Amino acid sequence: MRKLLAILLVSVMLIGTLAGCGEKESDTIKLGWMGSLTGDQAAYGTCEYQTLQLLVEKKNAAGGILGKQIELIGYDTKGDAQEAVNVAKRLCAQDKVCAIIGPNASGQCIAIQSVLDEYKISDMSTVATNEKVTVQDGVLKEFNFRICFLDPEQGRIAGKFVGEYLGFDKVAILYDVNDDYGQGLKDNFVNVFTAMGGTVVAEEKYNGGDTDFTAQLTKIKETDAQIIFTPIFYQDFINIHKQARTLGMELPMLGGDGCASEVLFDAADAVNGSYVINHVSLTDPSGEAFRTEYAQKWNGAKMELNGYMAYDAFLAWCAAVEKAGSDDPIKIAEAYTQIEVDGMTGKIKISPENHNPIGKSGCVEQIDGVNKTYIFVTKIPTE
Amino acid sequence: MGYYLQQLVNGICLGGMYALMSVGYSLVYSIMNFSNFAHGGVIMIGAYIGYFALTALGCPFFLTFLLCGLGSGVLAILLERFVYTPLRKRSAPSLYFIISAMGASIFLENLVIAVIDGTPRNYPEIFKNTINIGGLNLGLDSLLMIIITAVSLFILMFIIHKTKIGLAIRACSYNEKVATLMGINGDLVIFVVFLMGGILAGFAGMLYGMRFIVKPTIGLVTNKSFVAAVFGGLGSLPGAIVGSLLLGIMEIFVASWNSAYRDLFVYALLILVLVVKPSGLMGKVTEDKA
Repeated sequence: MRKLLAILLVSVMLIGTLAGCGEKESDTIKLGWMGSLTGDQAAYGTCEYQTLQLLVEKKNAAGGILGKQIELIGYDTKGDAQEAVNVAKRLCAQDKVCAIIGPNASGQCIAIQSVLDEYKISDMSTVATNEKVTVQDGVLKEFNFRICFLDPEQGRIAGKFVGEYLGFDKVAILYDVNDDYGQGLKDNFVNVFTAMGGTVVAEEKYNGGDTDFTAQLTKIKETDAQIIFTPIFYQDFINIHKQARTLGMELPMLGGDGCASEVLFDAADAVNGSYVINHVSLTDPSGEAFRTEYAQKWNGAKMELNGYMAYDAFLAWCAAVEKAGSDDPIKIAEAYTQIEVDGMTGKIKISPENHNPIGKSGCVEQIDGVNKTYIFVTKIPTE
Repeated sequence: MGYYLQQLVNGICLGGMYALMSVGYSLVYSIMNFSNFAHGGVIMIGAYIGYFALTALGCPFFLTFLLCGLGSGVLAILLERFVYTPLRKRSAPSLYFIISAMGASIFLENLVIAVIDGTPRNYPEIFKNTINIGGLNLGLDSLLMIIITAVSLFILMFIIHKTKIGLAIRACSYNEKVATLMGINGDLVIFVVFLMGGILAGFAGMLYGMRFIVKPTIGLVTNKSFVAAVFGGLGSLPGAIVGSLLLGIMEIFVASWNSAYRDLFVYALLILVLVVKPSGLMGKVTEDKA
C-alpha cells in the first residue's frame, strides 16, 4: 500500500514537472519504443532498440523529420504483459510520445490496447503475429497496427513459391491436424496452389506428439509428388526428414517460419536442400549495407529478425508523420493506412480494414546442410 | 505390392521398438503383478545416456549402446530398491505399486527437466545409409534395430527358458510365495528381472533416440508399448513380442489408410482387449492376475 502511495506521489510530481515544461517540448518529435531488454526475449528487444537508435541517429543527422529532431524514448517491458501496460502508460501520459513502436510479442501488444485507446496514441508492433493484436472479436483496434504478416500469409507465399518459382505442379502435404498454425498455412497453400493449376497428390496428417511418420511417407512416396509441403514446427520437420531419407526419398520439403531454426543443423545431412519460409532472410543481399552499419555501431553484433521489423516500422512511422504533416498522434494513426513504403521486408501498405500489412513479401531460404547455413532463394509478395 | 511390403517393413520396425519396451512391462508384471509405469522413465534416461555418451564423450556406437543398457539397468535396480522394496516388505497392495511407479515416472521426467532442460535433442546422424532390397528401402538404423531387438529378445528367452535363474523366474511368475517356500531367493529373482528389463529399456531408449528424438516426455510415448504388452497378454514374454509386432504393423496400416485414426485405433484396441479377452493374445489365466 505504501509502495502504491509512493508511486502515486512520484507520478503526481512527475506530471507536475512535465506540465511545467510542456510548452518547450515542441522542438523535438518524440517516438516511443517498448520491448524486452531483459528476460527470455532480451535478444529480440535489444536488437529492435539498437536498430531504432541507429536509425534515429541517421535520420537526425540528415535533418530530422518535418524540420525537427527525433527523440527516441525506449523502455523495457521485461517480456511481461503487466509491465508493458505500465510502460505504455508512461510513454503516453508522461512522455507524451506521438507514436509507439514495439513490443515484439502478441501478448504484450494485446495487453496495451486499452491504454492506447485511452490516450489515442498508435502502436506499430514488430513481430506480433496473433490475429487479435489488431482485430478482436471482429472489432478493429483503432490504434494497433503491425508490420509483420500473419501466419496464414505464409501459406500463400508457399503456394506461389512452389507453383511459380519452382514451377512444380504436384505436391504432397504432411501436417499436424491438431495445430491451428499448420491448418491455416495448409488451407491457404492449397487455395493458391490449386488456383495456379497445381494438384495436391497426397494430403497426409498426423497427430501432435506422433514420432513415426513412415506410414504417411511411404504413401507419399507412391505418388509423383515433386515436393512435400510441411507447415509444422522444426522438431517434426527434422524427424520427417530423417525418416524420409531412411525410406530412400530424396524429395525436398518446404516449411514455414516454424521450421526455421538453428536446430535443423543437428540433422544437417537429412534436411539438406529443403526450403523454409521466413519474414526476412538474414542473408538477403539487399539488407547487407544496413547489417554492416549495424555491426559497426554495436561492436559486431548480428542483426536479428526483429531488427528488420523495427527498421520497417520506423520507415512506416516516418512516412506517416510526413503524410500527417504534424506529430499529432491521431493524425499519425490515420496516416498509417494511407502510406506506402518500400521496406527491408518488402513493400509495406497497411490495410485500413484490419491494420495488417497487405502484399508483404516473404523470403524463401534453402537449407545448406554441408555448410550448415541458409541460402537466400527468393522474395515472394503475398498480394 | 512393393508398397504394402514397404509398409509391412515400417510396421515391423515400429513393432520391434515396441517389443523391446514392452518386455520390460511384461517381465515385471509376471513376477510382481503390477504395471511398472516407471519403465517409460527408465527408457527415457537410457535415451539421454546415449545422447550424452555420443555427443559429449564422443563414444563409439557399440560402447554407447552398452553404456545405455548398463545405465538403465542400474537405474531400474535403484528404483526397485528404493521405491518397490519398502512396499514389498510391507506386502502393500498392487495399487500402491502402480501409484509409486507413476510417481517415479513423473519424478524422472522432472529430474531431467530440472537438471538438463526440456528442449528436445537430436542424436548425431550415425547410420545414414539406406539399403535397397528389391525396391524395399530399409535404413541401416532400422536394420540394426531389428537385429538388435531380435538378438536381445533371443538372449532374454534363452535366459528365461534354459538357465537356472530363468527357471526360478518362471517359478515365481506362477506363484511367488510357493516358489520362495521351495527355497528360491525371491529378492534375487526380482533383482534379475529389473536388471534385464532395465537393460532392454536402455537399448530401447537409445534406438528410440536414434530414430526419433530425445526429450523428457518419451515416457509418455512408451504408453503404446504398454498397450502392446496388454494386447499380447501382460505377463507373457512371447505375448509381449507378438503383441508389439502386430500392434506396430496394424498401426502403420491404419495410419497409411487414414493417419488421424492411428491413436483412436490403438486405444480402441486396448479397450476391446480388456473387455473381450483381458488376458490378451497369449496371457495366462486371469484368476490370479489383477
